[in-house]
Amino acid sequence: MTTSTKKKGNVRVLTRISSIALFFILFAFIFAKFVSPYDPTELAVAPPFSSPSWAHFFGTDELGRDSFSRSLYGGRITVLISILAATVALFLGTIWGFAAGIFKGWLDEVLMRTADAMMAIPALLFALVCISGLGASFVSLTLVAGILLSPSTARMARSALLVEISTDYFTAGIASGLSRWKLIWNEVMPNVASQLLVQFSINAASAVMLEAALSFIGLGVQPPSASLGTLILQGYAKIYNSYWYVLFPSLLVVLIILLFNAIAENMRISMESDKSSS
Amino acid sequence: MNTGLQVRNLSVSVPTTSGQRLAVDNISFDLPKGKSIALVGESGSGKSLTAYALMRLLRAPVQIEGGEVVLNGELISNLTPQEFRKIRGGKIGMVYQDPMSALNPLMKIGKQIVESILAHSDIEKNAAKKRAIQLLQEVGIPAAEDSFNAYPFEFSGGMLQRVVIAMALSGNPEILIADEATTALDVTTQSRVLNLISQLAYDRGLSVLLITHDLGVAAQFADELVVMYAGKIVEYGEIRGIFSKPLHPYTQALLESRCDYTIDFTKPINTILGQPPKPENRTSGCAFAPRCKFKEDICESNDPRLESVLHRSVACLRVNEINALSGRE
Repeated sequence: MTTSTKKKGNVRVLTRISSIALFFILFAFIFAKFVSPYDPTELAVAPPFSSPSWAHFFGTDELGRDSFSRSLYGGRITVLISILAATVALFLGTIWGFAAGIFKGWLDEVLMRTADAMMAIPALLFALVCISGLGASFVSLTLVAGILLSPSTARMARSALLVEISTDYFTAGIASGLSRWKLIWNEVMPNVASQLLVQFSINAASAVMLEAALSFIGLGVQPPSASLGTLILQGYAKIYNSYWYVLFPSLLVVLIILLFNAIAENMRISMESDKSSS
Repeated sequence: MNTGLQVRNLSVSVPTTSGQRLAVDNISFDLPKGKSIALVGESGSGKSLTAYALMRLLRAPVQIEGGEVVLNGELISNLTPQEFRKIRGGKIGMVYQDPMSALNPLMKIGKQIVESILAHSDIEKNAAKKRAIQLLQEVGIPAAEDSFNAYPFEFSGGMLQRVVIAMALSGNPEILIADEATTALDVTTQSRVLNLISQLAYDRGLSVLLITHDLGVAAQFADELVVMYAGKIVEYGEIRGIFSKPLHPYTQALLESRCDYTIDFTKPINTILGQPPKPENRTSGCAFAPRCKFKEDICESNDPRLESVLHRSVACLRVNEINALSGRE
């Protein structure tokens, strides 16, 4: 009892710290215009490849632009894409999984085997093929990442739905004359929302990684706008003479992924201990 | 027309290791308006399946194999799913064994009742709320207005069962099916809930189908008794008649195994040896034969049919001999 409450307490603290950290980072990204000390496109604010200093936290790039400002603007695009992609995945995956779980039968088979097939293809390869077909842009990146993340979301949504449908209160709802659709909307949805939220957070983390990876190989956000992945790509070429150029954007990517995952993990644990304690 | 509920030749099959087998085998009974009948039997005798089949709540692979259900002269067993939704809750309400799991744990009690009220009438939300509070008062929930905003975990099992009853009554049904409704409750709560159900049945002129394995509960409550064994009705008739003179060996054995404060505690309590056969193990002949003390060869080869004996129906090949026999002793 005491250990589980303690564990839950730790979880709460961790969730809070991760959320606050993520909030700060997102805040800095969203208000990059006010937070960043320089215009990200302004040339030669300092000599090219300056090392990190109090004036330029992340140093400068090959054109003398402030890397810190560029990272904030880049992070904004990265996070925006990942959150939009996670939203796409949430909608698509929930509809996909719910359709499979509600209609059962052959539709269930078709939908879930499609999901299996999609998950069997390496994500990056799949994204590469799609992006080269659609052309690299903000919208195509968001859509492809969202579609890529929806099969796993669909699986989760389906299993959560099946658990809810098999409960006695669902049957009791049917027996009191409510329609299935109404029950699914009014009762099942709120009860699976927390699980979907966890999946959303995991998806956002995966989308950050996917975006960074695609931009790194040049299929992501196109210049003049730059995401964190683009910055890593540009910095990678100069890794021997100025390691900080690639280091800081990479650290940001790692940090964002870590925070999204930490929040998801902590939400999951606190949900589980809620269930086991009742 | 208010002729109550008639069930004719209802069969339900369940999946077993050897394919679909009947777990409810061709049963028929009547539930006249304002009367109550009790369906009793051991676990696995098909009582609950019967109730779920009436409400069409069975899920594949468990399925209804045939039979007709007539409500007030109207055949309801061939209605489309959309049409049948009006029957569920609107004509037949249902109360479950475990009130804890029959309510959504994340939803306020009041809202759950309002939801089922709105499913059956076109009234406004506020009116539905008033109606829900009325219902909660009717089933004896104290401080109904406060309870409206309570979550299920805040209530005890007995209280929750009252809430479930309120929900079952929200569509003003004519028939109430109570599926082991008092099994999960302790004995004092059990009798209070039973009293509540009989009071409500009297006030509202409800017909009640009580499903139980507790003969005491059945005796306290019902007008007629249906004894089921291995998916079939073995004895069916007026309850006092059956209690005073059970005709089927199974009913006799059940009544002999009853425990109450009048039994002789120096003697071991009577039991029925063995277990009822599972659907896949049923052979031809009387399903009760392996456990029956009156068994003869004929019982293992011929299927007994329900025959009318002394104003009731009994499915036993040797019913006349046995009861002549017990009369002589």
